[in-house]
Amino acid sequence: MTTYDVIVVGAGAGGGIVAGVLAEAGHRVLVLERGRQYRVDEVGLDHLRNHRLARYGHNTGPDLDGNPRVAVDIEGAARLLRPHEGGYHNNAMAVGGGTLVYGAQAWRFLPRDFRMASTYGVPPGSSLADWPISYDDLAEDYARAEREIGVAGDAAAACFHPRREPYPMPAVADNPQRHLLAGAAARLGWNTHPVPLAINTVPYQGRPACVQCGMCVGFACPSDSKNGTFNTLLPRARASGRCTLVANAQAERVLSDASGRVVGVAYWTIADGRAQRHEARADRVVLSAGAIESARLLLNSPTAREPAGLGNGHDQVGRSLQGHYYPGALAVMPDAVYDGNGPGVTIATTQFNHGNPGIIGGAMLANEFIPMPLSFWYAWRPADAPRWGLAAKRAMRDGFRRTVSVQGPVQEIPSPTARVTIDPAVRDRFGIPVVRLSGHTHPETLRTAAYMRDRAIDWLRATAAERVWARPIALGLSAGQHQAGTCRMGDDARTSVCDRFGRVHGHDNLLVADGGLHVTNGGFNPVLTIMALAFRVARRLITT
Amino acid sequence: MFTGRRGEVLRALVDRMIPADDVPGGWEAGVGDYLARLFAGDLAAQALPYALGLDALDAEAAAAHGCGFVELADERQDALLARLADGGATQVWPLAPARFVAWSADLCAEGFYGDPANGGNRGGVAWAMIGYDPKRVLPGPPA
Repeated sequence: MTTYDVIVVGAGAGGGIVAGVLAEAGHRVLVLERGRQYRVDEVGLDHLRNHRLARYGHNTGPDLDGNPRVAVDIEGAARLLRPHEGGYHNNAMAVGGGTLVYGAQAWRFLPRDFRMASTYGVPPGSSLADWPISYDDLAEDYARAEREIGVAGDAAAACFHPRREPYPMPAVADNPQRHLLAGAAARLGWNTHPVPLAINTVPYQGRPACVQCGMCVGFACPSDSKNGTFNTLLPRARASGRCTLVANAQAERVLSDASGRVVGVAYWTIADGRAQRHEARADRVVLSAGAIESARLLLNSPTAREPAGLGNGHDQVGRSLQGHYYPGALAVMPDAVYDGNGPGVTIATTQFNHGNPGIIGGAMLANEFIPMPLSFWYAWRPADAPRWGLAAKRAMRDGFRRTVSVQGPVQEIPSPTARVTIDPAVRDRFGIPVVRLSGHTHPETLRTAAYMRDRAIDWLRATAAERVWARPIALGLSAGQHQAGTCRMGDDARTSVCDRFGRVHGHDNLLVADGGLHVTNGGFNPVLTIMALAFRVARRLITT
Repeated sequence: MFTGRRGEVLRALVDRMIPADDVPGGWEAGVGDYLARLFAGDLAAQALPYALGLDALDAEAAAAHGCGFVELADERQDALLARLADGGATQVWPLAPARFVAWSADLCAEGFYGDPANGGNRGGVAWAMIGYDPKRVLPGPPA
């Protein structure tokens, strides 16, 4: 049996980076990815089955059958869910993970995002805490992620942020919505700036500039101009000759020896229609399966020393699951504000990420990517819009090019009861116990979300909008593509799962490198922070 | 499942959900093809309840007007659908009639505004109507 230096479970935003850094540093790396490698034409253009609108399926793994989860709603009802259904909290399973089909907003968190408890105090019932590291500890890794993945932005305009270096590529081009919203923000006295995107605005790292097709979110990029781990660090890992990537490989558990020391990973593949179990050995194991599945792996790997699961001696694994609430508002304008040029998201304000009176945290607000007509049908129309007949047809015809959406990811106030556990009965196609999701965000999150919704309304009302409306906000669990928090970092093993370098407490050779590490999830899309942390974890591994 | 009389009711319903104006209506744009594919595929398990809903719609028309849904004038079809959307039913339904109307509206919108490869939106007619003009050209599989 081959013994590797490192096994990385998951080839997404975190795992792809760990694999690349370690392989280039001379380590022999095995990457296990439960999804597969996709060509852009295999991801396709199905407007009903994708990661933006998953009405009847989606366009990557996991397969709809054989991969269930159980979700408990706030009324206590448990439902068995397939991966494309609401409440499953899926992220794309593929080589590249979510980075294959994301919109690629590439934000750094702000210094205060790492000190939420110190800044605001801890609301009763929440698990709000400071990170064990500061923004400064991660600044170099942020810069490296921006460089090595490839991010376009305007550092001069992003003056709200203590960054020192320019973005490697200029920001995305203007569009009519940016003019409209910049004018309104100026009248309100708010800052605005372009949205940083991991999308090539000029040729970069041997791949071309964006062709502005407008299908970033939920799909793969036709010109290979959207940057993820699948077209940066993972190819580098393979080019080193020291990385073996096994796709369609479902990890079952982390393997330990009799003393409880981690020695490898058991996983399953399907060959000729038959499931096969494998065991791979390594000196170190890094879990990058995403906040939900990495927690599942730890919980599914009990030993005599840790009967409740690896790293779970203090019942912390899987708790404080969080994502983002996405409040916002929409408006219909007198004239068209649509030019058809992707990505479409061009302007943001960070005026309200912190410093809101009586409110904990806040959010960045930005306009939206070009909507698909069906995402417009389902999510962009006011609740009283006609649903059928000539009136509905004319409202679509009349409104599609005139509607603008502003929304943003609210920094959640984590709750320890929002959590991943293992369902006692349900198993996946390989017989592995599946995830049970339960609980809801802390109620403070709702107050912040309502506050941000009102700021989005303010922004749109400061334009020449004919009508402004917003969607309702309700208590629930959020995780999904921004899932985080289940394996949080901390210096105290009683209140965290991993240490400040991603090592699971009590283990020197078991690590986590994904959104699970996030203590809090920022008021921004989290992927650049996942990437920066992966660089940090990997950097530490090659020097120790 | 959707042949014969039911097929005629479905066609009439699709064209009330998305009527023709200077742009083709739902049926001409291929929404029927979209629905046939969907109810033979992802929604195969829902085909019978939906078909029974079409039967109930036809029966409502007969009870109210003495003729089937297909034979009603457009305005009377619309008025009947509006009554059902408000919950005003007299016949036996396999699901709440308001839900049937809302579901039909979404299904027809999916066919009409979705990508043509799903069977509806023939020639991109709905996208041209609303002004959605994706530049997207997918590369084919490598030779």
